[in-house]
Amino acid sequence: MARSQPPGTQPPTASAPRSRYSLRDTLLSYAFLAPALILLTLFTFYPLAYGSYLGFTEYGGARFAQGLGPRWTGLENFRTLAADPLFLTALGNSVKYLVIVPVLQLASLSVAVLVNKNLPGMAFFRAAYYIPVVTSISLAAVMWDWVYNKEGTLNWALGVVRIIPEGSFFGWLNNEQTAFWAVMLVTFWRGFGYYMVLYLAGLQGIPAELEEAAVLDGASSWKRFWSITVPLMKPTILLCSLLSTIAALRVLEEVLVLTNGGPLNSTYTALMYVYSKAFQGFNFDYGLASAAGLVVAVVALLLSVANFRLFRESDGGES
Amino acid sequence: MTQFHKKQFHKKALLALTLGLSLTAVSAPAAAQATTEVTFWTWYLSPKFDPYIKQTIAAFEKANPTIKVKWFDKQDSMVQDFIASVNLGNAPDVVNLNIDETGKAAQNGFLRNVDALTPLATLKSTFYPQTLANFTVGGKVYGYPWYGSLNEGVLLYNPDLMKKAGVSAPKNMTELLNMVKTVKDKTGAYAWVPALKDPGGASFLGYFSSDGLPIYDAKGNAAFNSAAHVAILQKYVDLFRGGYFPEDALRKEAFQLATELYAQNRVAMIVGGPQALNRIKDTNPGLYAKTVVTTAPLGKANTQTGTSMGMVIPQASKHPAEAAKLAAYFTSNANQIAFAKIVPIIPTTAAAQNDPFFKGASSDPIAKATALVGASGRFINPGFKAPGNSDDLYKNFSDNIEAALLGKKTPKAALDDSVKFWNANMKK
Amino acid sequence: MSLVIRAPARTAAPRRRNVKLGRVILRYVFLIAVLIFAVFPFLWTLAIALTDKTAGGSIYNFPASLFPRAVTLHNFADVYRTFSLGKYIWNSVSITGMTIIGTLLISALAAYPLARFRFPGKGIIFAVIIATLVLPGETTFIVNTLTLKNMGLLGTHLGVVLPTVAAAFGIFLMRQAFLSIPQALLEASRLDGAGELTILTRIMLPLSVPSLAALGIFTLVGTWNAYFWPMLALSGAPDAVPLSVAVLKLKGQFNYDPFNIAAGSIIMMIPVLLVFLAAQRLFMRGMEGAVK
Repeated sequence: MARSQPPGTQPPTASAPRSRYSLRDTLLSYAFLAPALILLTLFTFYPLAYGSYLGFTEYGGARFAQGLGPRWTGLENFRTLAADPLFLTALGNSVKYLVIVPVLQLASLSVAVLVNKNLPGMAFFRAAYYIPVVTSISLAAVMWDWVYNKEGTLNWALGVVRIIPEGSFFGWLNNEQTAFWAVMLVTFWRGFGYYMVLYLAGLQGIPAELEEAAVLDGASSWKRFWSITVPLMKPTILLCSLLSTIAALRVLEEVLVLTNGGPLNSTYTALMYVYSKAFQGFNFDYGLASAAGLVVAVVALLLSVANFRLFRESDGGES
Repeated sequence: MTQFHKKQFHKKALLALTLGLSLTAVSAPAAAQATTEVTFWTWYLSPKFDPYIKQTIAAFEKANPTIKVKWFDKQDSMVQDFIASVNLGNAPDVVNLNIDETGKAAQNGFLRNVDALTPLATLKSTFYPQTLANFTVGGKVYGYPWYGSLNEGVLLYNPDLMKKAGVSAPKNMTELLNMVKTVKDKTGAYAWVPALKDPGGASFLGYFSSDGLPIYDAKGNAAFNSAAHVAILQKYVDLFRGGYFPEDALRKEAFQLATELYAQNRVAMIVGGPQALNRIKDTNPGLYAKTVVTTAPLGKANTQTGTSMGMVIPQASKHPAEAAKLAAYFTSNANQIAFAKIVPIIPTTAAAQNDPFFKGASSDPIAKATALVGASGRFINPGFKAPGNSDDLYKNFSDNIEAALLGKKTPKAALDDSVKFWNANMKK
Repeated sequence: MSLVIRAPARTAAPRRRNVKLGRVILRYVFLIAVLIFAVFPFLWTLAIALTDKTAGGSIYNFPASLFPRAVTLHNFADVYRTFSLGKYIWNSVSITGMTIIGTLLISALAAYPLARFRFPGKGIIFAVIIATLVLPGETTFIVNTLTLKNMGLLGTHLGVVLPTVAAAFGIFLMRQAFLSIPQALLEASRLDGAGELTILTRIMLPLSVPSLAALGIFTLVGTWNAYFWPMLALSGAPDAVPLSVAVLKLKGQFNYDPFNIAAGSIIMMIPVLLVFLAAQRLFMRGMEGAVK
C-alpha cells in the first residue's frame, strides 16, 4: 500500500512537515487523551483481555457456584464449536446478514440527499424518518410482530393489491423462507434513519459552490450524485459501512425479540449462540460463549480491514 | 372458613404478644437485639400481587421482630440476576424459582439443601409427598414448594363458538383432538392452542406422558420414539399442517397465545391453569361472564400433570436460618390458602385438600375454577424428570418437533434424531 | 461566453420548468412512501392503544382495527395505574443526561490530539480505540460489575454511566469533524498566542456543532433505549432502573393483552419522542449555523 493520501479529504496530520515530535505536543496530547484512555482501559480493555482469556478456559455454572475460577483448557472450546452444527449454522446466518450493508447504506445516503434540500416539509421528513431509531427494540418487536402476523397488516395489504391471495396468507416470522428477511427488514427500518443523519452531517461538509457549478454545467442529478456527492462523502460512507458491517455481524436483539432464532434456526445468529451459552441460566458456560465471541470478533476484524482496503482502492482508482 | 379465622385470631394474639415482648426487649438497653436483613426475590408477582406479598411480609416481620425483609420482584432477568448477585457477593436469601430452575441451580451447586434447615419430618408433614419430591435432587430437598398450577387444570370455553361448531365440551384428549377440525371449519376460530414448543422447555413431552407413554426406558435412556410416540406427533403434525393450529404456537408460549386469542373470540377453548380467567376478566369482561368452566380433558393415562413454584435458599446466603424461617412462613398452608383466595393457584400443602374454601359452589368462573382445582395439589407433578443438561436437550427436542411440524422431517425421523441426540449428550 | 450559454437556456425555460416540477413531485412521492414505511407501525399501535377492547374486537380486523370506532383512554389508565412511571422517567433522564455530557466531553478531548497533534504512539492508540468497535464485548459485563463494586458505584446511576462514556464511535466522529477544519485557522490562532484549550473550546468545538449535536443525539437514543447493561448494573436497586428496563416489566405483565401493550408502548415512547423532537430542532439549527 504505497498509495498517497486520498485527495479531497484533509490528510490526517498537518501537511506542514515539522520536527519529529515536540515534547509539548506529546504531553498535551496525552493529557487530552487521559480521561478516555483511563476509562477505556478500566472498562473495555481489561474486561476484553479477561474475556479472551476465558475463551481458552472451562468456566461454567458449577465451577462458578463453588467459587472456583476458570480452568485453562487450551483449544477445547474451539474444538467444541467446530463440531457444533448449531454454531456453524449461526455463524453462516450472521455472515449472510451482511447482505443488508450495501442496501442499507445506499438507501440511507439516497434518502439523505433527497431530504437535504431547501424545500417545504424537509425538516418534517427528516424528523419522521428518525423516529424508528428512537424506538426501543422491545417496542419495535411488539409492532412488527403484529405487522408480520398471519392476519397482520402486511398480508392484508398484499392481499388488497392481490399479490398474495387471501387463502395463502402466512406468518412472515413463522416461515423459514421469509423469517430471515423479515427480521432483516426490521434492522433496516431501525437503521436507515440513523445512517441518514450521519450522511446529512457529512453532506454539510460539501461546499455548495461545487453543487452549483455542476448544476450550471448541466449535470443530471444522478451524475452529480455519483461524481460529486459519493466521492466527497467517502469518509462518512466508510464510517457508516464499517458500523453497519459490524452491527450486521453482531445482530442479536432483533432476533431475540422477534423469532428467538427460529423457525428451524433460520434466524439463529452467532451472537444468539454467544448469548444463549452465556445466559442459559444455571448451566451457563462463559468459556464456550467467550470462545464463540472471539470467533465472531476475528471475522469482524477481517471484514473491517477489507472494508478499509476496498475504499482506499476505489478512491485511488478514481482520482 | 371459621377454622381459618380462628387460626388468624390466634396468630394475631401471638403477634401482639411477641410484639410486646420485643418492645420491652428494645426498651431494655442491655438486650439490644440486632436485626437481620433478609433479601427476598419473587418471580413475576409485582405489581399485581403487591398487597398480598406486603401483608404477608409485614405479618412475618411482626412475628419475627429481629428479621427485616427486603423484597424485590424479578421478571425476565431472574436467573441472570441470581447468578450476577452470587458473583457480586450480595446474593439474596430467599428466591422464588420453579421446579426446572431449582433442579439446574441445585445440580450446579448454587443452593443449600433445605432439609438441613427445616427438619425433614416437618417438610413431609406440611407438603404432599409429590410436591416435595419435585424439589428433591439427588436425595436432598432443595426448595419449599410454593404455589402450583396444573397443565391440564380446567377446561374453559366460549359457549357461543362451541354451539356454532355443534360440539360439546370434550371429555378427554382424543375427543378434543377430534373436534379441532370441526371447530375451525365451522367457526373460523381455532379450537384450542396446544403447547408445541416453548423457549425454555420441552412441553410436547407432556403429551407423551399424559397418554401414559414413557420418556425414558428402564436404564434411564431417552426412549420417546416408539410407534405410539410417533403416532401422537403425527396427529399434531397433520392438524398443524392443515392450518388447524395457529402458526404462532411455534414461536410463542401456548398459554400466552391462547389467552390473547381467546379474549378476541379467536379460539374456542383453553385447557390449563385457571390463571387465564383473571386475564380474560380484565381484557374482555363480557366474554368472561359467558365463559364456562369445567373439568379438563385428560390423556389416556387419565392423570393431571402440573408444576409449582418453590422457595430456595442460595448457598451464598449469609442468613440461612432466617431465610428458612421466611420461606417456611410463606409456603405454610395458611399463607398459601390466603394466596389462593386472591388468584386461583393451587396450594402445595397437604392440609389444603380439606380446606372448606375449596368446597364452595359458585357460578362465577374464577370461583368455580378455584373450587375445581384448588384441592388438587397432589397432582402437581411435571410427569417426567428433567435431564441434567436440560437446556441443550430441550432445544434439540424442540428443534426436531418444529422440523416435523414444518414438514422438514417425518415425525419418526424427528423423534429418532432427538432420541439419538439425547442419548449421546445426556448428563444424568 | 456567458451569452452563448444563456441564450439556449432562456428558450428552453418552460420545458425545463416542467421537468423540474415533475422531479419535485417525484421526490415528494418517494419521500411520502418512505414516510409510510417509517411511521406506519406507530400509527397502528396508536390506533390499537385507543381501541375499546371490552368490545371483544380483534386487532387483526382490517381495516376496522386501523380506525377504531369506539375510542377510549381506558388502556392508558390501566397501564398507568399499575406502574408508577414517573420515577422511571426521572431515572432515564438522569442516566441519559450524565452519559451525554460525559460522552461529548471525553470524545472531544480525546479526538483533538488524534486529529491535530503529532506525538509518539498516536497511530497505535487510534488503531486500538477503533479496534474496540469490533472486539467482543459480550462477556465484559462480568468484569465490569466487579470493578464497579470495588469502586462502590454498583447500583448507582454513575456506575451505569462510567463504563459507557469513552467509546470509539464518539472519538472517531469528533476526530473526523476536527480533521475537516482548515489547518490555517489553527495556525492563525496559535500565532495569536491562544492556548490549546482555548483553541479547542473557541474554534474546534464551535465549528463542530453539527457533529457534537449528532453525537449527542446518538448517545441520547442509545442510552435511553439500552436495557441490558442498566438492568444488570442496577439489579440490586430496582427503584433506580430507567424506563427501558421497566418496559420489560410491562411486557411480562401484559403479554396477553395487546391493547394494554400498545398503550404502554405509546406511553413509553412519548418522553423519548419529546426529547428527540426538542433536541432535533437544536441539531438542525446547529447544522444550519455550520453551513453559513
